[in-house]
Amino acid sequence: MGNLAENLMEELQCETVFSIGGIGISESVVVTWIIMAVVLIACLLATRRLKVENPGRGQLLLEFAVSWIQNLCGGFIGEEGKRYAPYLTSVLIYLGIANLIGILGFKPPTKDLNVTAALAIMSIVLIQYAGIHKKGVKGWLKSFTEPVAIVAPINILELVIKPLSLCMRLFGNVLGAFVIMKLIESVMPVFLPVVFSAYFDLFDGLIQAYVFVFLTGLFIKEAIE
Amino acid sequence: MSTMIAIGAAIAVLTGIGAGIGIGIATSKATEAVARQPEADGKITKILLLGAALAEATAIYGFVVALLIIILLG
Repeated sequence: MGNLAENLMEELQCETVFSIGGIGISESVVVTWIIMAVVLIACLLATRRLKVENPGRGQLLLEFAVSWIQNLCGGFIGEEGKRYAPYLTSVLIYLGIANLIGILGFKPPTKDLNVTAALAIMSIVLIQYAGIHKKGVKGWLKSFTEPVAIVAPINILELVIKPLSLCMRLFGNVLGAFVIMKLIESVMPVFLPVVFSAYFDLFDGLIQAYVFVFLTGLFIKEAIE
Repeated sequence: MSTMIAIGAAIAVLTGIGAGIGIGIATSKATEAVARQPEADGKITKILLLGAALAEATAIYGFVVALLIIILLG
């Protein structure tokens, strides 16, 4: 078991792969770049030769996928928040790929606390921006005192709690799944990991990406109401 | 000292009880709902999964806290 504890500590630490001008580039950033490159190339390849009249099979499939994911994300925030749907869509695609990339042997970037923290901070900034954009600075400040003035400290505390919970939820889930998989592998390395990997790697990763985007959408909807 | 750390981490992981009860209640209600209205099956499953993922978060927080206790103190 001592070996396992050391292994886990090693996995928790985020290694610096190389550095540019004194700024360390960690492994999760490199994996994120790989994901970005793959998604970008996939987008460029998929959107080549699009036609308005009699589209091909590939285009129909693409249109179906795009409208499905847009409806999914647009459904969270409703008609009023349509302009924030592209952000949610991109986060959903990124998180989905990031949580699944462990299957290909890469280290999932979401296992690095800094990545989930950055995503959560982006989310809370967007949520507050949505509130300011909708209500103006005055209305936004006033929204802290709703429903009654006495809950204002709790509302201000929520500014910290919301991103913290978003960040910890994602990080804890990915790390927890990873730890449990390691434990199962050490108990029985043959058949059992395959079964559990289907749940922990595939299902749980996608569900958590969905939950992250759903909660962000919910908070935005709350902010612009 | 290490015994105390282990006990502290174990107490933090007790948050799993809450998540277990929560997901149990959610599943029992979902079963009832499907039995009453089998045609709303897809919608209920979606909500159940989402609720379970949210309820699970408390257990995850406990896990993260336990891990932090072990790493920072141990």
